[in-house]
Amino acid sequence: MDKLLRKVNFDKLIGSVVNRGGRFIAPSLDARQVVFKAVKKAEEISFDHILARNSYKEYLFPQTEVIADFTVHKDGIDLQGRDVEPSTTVIFGARPCEAESLSALRAVFTWDFIDEFYTQREDKTVVLTVACTKGDEACFCTTVGLSPESTSGSDVYLKETEGGDYIAKAITDRGRAFIEEHAAAFEDAKDTKTKKLFMPEKIAGIDLARIAERLSKKEHYDDPVWARLTRKCIGCGACTFVCPTCHCFDITDEGMAFGGERRKNWDSCQYDTFTLHASGHNPREFQYKRWRNRFMCKFNIYPDKFSSKGCVGCGRCIRVCPVRLDITEVMEEMSK
Amino acid sequence: MEEILRKKARELLESGAVKVVIGWGWNRNRTRTTPVFITSPEDADKLVWNPLCVNNLSVYLTRKFKDIQALGKPAIVAKGCDIKNIVVLITEGQVKREDVFIIGMTCDGVVYRQELWKGELRPEIMPTKCHNCDVRNPFVADFVVGEKSAFTPPEAPTGMVFDKIKEIDNKDASGKWAFWINEFSRCIKCYACRQVCSLCYCERCITEKNMPQWIETSAHPRGNLSWNLTRAMHLVGRCTFCGECERACPVNIPLNLINQKMIQVVKDAFDFRSGYDEKTHPPMIVFNPEDKENFIK
Ligand code: SF4
Ligand code: SF4
Ligand code: SF4
Ligand code: SF4
Repeated sequence: MDKLLRKVNFDKLIGSVVNRGGRFIAPSLDARQVVFKAVKKAEEISFDHILARNSYKEYLFPQTEVIADFTVHKDGIDLQGRDVEPSTTVIFGARPCEAESLSALRAVFTWDFIDEFYTQREDKTVVLTVACTKGDEACFCTTVGLSPESTSGSDVYLKETEGGDYIAKAITDRGRAFIEEHAAAFEDAKDTKTKKLFMPEKIAGIDLARIAERLSKKEHYDDPVWARLTRKCIGCGACTFVCPTCHCFDITDEGMAFGGERRKNWDSCQYDTFTLHASGHNPREFQYKRWRNRFMCKFNIYPDKFSSKGCVGCGRCIRVCPVRLDITEVMEEMSK
Repeated sequence: MEEILRKKARELLESGAVKVVIGWGWNRNRTRTTPVFITSPEDADKLVWNPLCVNNLSVYLTRKFKDIQALGKPAIVAKGCDIKNIVVLITEGQVKREDVFIIGMTCDGVVYRQELWKGELRPEIMPTKCHNCDVRNPFVADFVVGEKSAFTPPEAPTGMVFDKIKEIDNKDASGKWAFWINEFSRCIKCYACRQVCSLCYCERCITEKNMPQWIETSAHPRGNLSWNLTRAMHLVGRCTFCGECERACPVNIPLNLINQKMIQVVKDAFDFRSGYDEKTHPPMIVFNPEDKENFIK
């Protein structure tokens, strides 16, 4: 049965999670914008916004993390891997689009190697999705086959009531267990009226099947359309850093001459050094080729190799882009 | 103004005087501007001019964009503040004056960020640079579009950036340190600040040099501090306060404060302001026996 999560009970819920050693991640105002943050009190949570600027992926796949320690001595190098011992992570306020992104991340982090730094955290993550009552022109979930009504990827799906509380529906076993574990914060829901959801208009000229077909043919690499639409990209990488499905990372060693840390840091296919070979050759020598790669990754590689969505239509890359390169404008062109 | 701009662009492309016009155009819904590269005269009508034309397009003149250079001689549509960056590029030998056709736009100001636009340019949504602007009339240009602006900037600079600098100047060393460590703690090392900057034109940024690794690429406090300080230092006497880095920063680090503070330091020490004269070299690359050395104590 659906449950009611009252706003006044958020402190109880957060406390219940934190007291069990977990962390409660929620949208919160920081430096004049709403971002996902670990919160300790309900008053830190932003309840009224469209979408957090960043995605919550950084709580499963941190921007930087130590994966090993090394020491150098005269007989060689000792490398000691670190274990990841994650606590429960509760993500409150994911949107239905980005909830879907976890399966995309999981697919890549379990592809030919199990990346335990990711999988162990994700195994202990509970996603509490809040359906959208607001949106903007950058939202395009409905164009990629999702909508504010999608529950895929969510453990608990919440809808806001007219009075500002939430009706909670457990979607997965993990979600059911979460509600049971923190039962004190939930009440039985009687037929409470929920707010009308925001539905982005489907972009008429976009056809995912047609995009996939065009991208499956090698000739598209030389299509002048890439340079025409995307040469304005300045390669800042901001889109990849806020994107819930972008996952590229780099391994780097830091420290002093005789020891240090091996770190796993976010990287971006939008950087010119991303594909720079030691020989000096760069197969993606111009920015539009790097941008083409990002598009390929989302609409060819992901669906083809992992049968998952590389783009969930959250629109973050569009909002954050300093040159307003709109991925849907390229999708439209590639649907022709 | 838009019509005159388009007409000029069309003429330039038709006559072959330039091969590409770099300007601003609309996105699909005509709600935001975005850079456009016009290569055929029929497309000149795609150019727009309005307070949403925030991007400093001079970044596309740098060597980071070899594919754009391959198109041929460019004309660039530029506001006065954008022209300052072109001037710096000229003084630093990156662009030759005769290799670029500058279409200067007289300007009444732009929005700080496009999201703020509600159909009207109110002072509250304009960046500090516009409130104090002394280049609303393009000062280095091959063609100027628009009536002469009569705006005179206030005697003493005003606006959020200047107020905040005063506030930070009044803190003691540990207060300043705490302020910046907190701001930099959000840095995600995306390098959007560098990429959007026309004066960050190095083909290999110091942060990409890894033998040895000068700047740790990790987004931890040490790496963030060394990155942000290094970038600030590399822009001393060069940055024109165009504000692009702060606009591009996805985590809202107030980079304008650092850059404006550096501008004040250079003004006091060398009586120099970058971007005003394409014939004067910036102070960091010239030796002058008259330079004050009062920092040596
Ligand atoms: S590509 Fe853009 S719209 Fe798609 S999931 Fe990533 S950030 Fe969201
Ligand atoms: S945010 Fe925009 S400019 Fe930056 S890399 Fe992405 S598409 Fe390019
Ligand atoms: S700084 Fe001056 S030239 Fe630049 S946008 Fe503002 S008013 Fe226009
Ligand atoms: S744009 Fe902001 S977050 Fe990105 S590297 Fe620069 S200061 Fe850091």
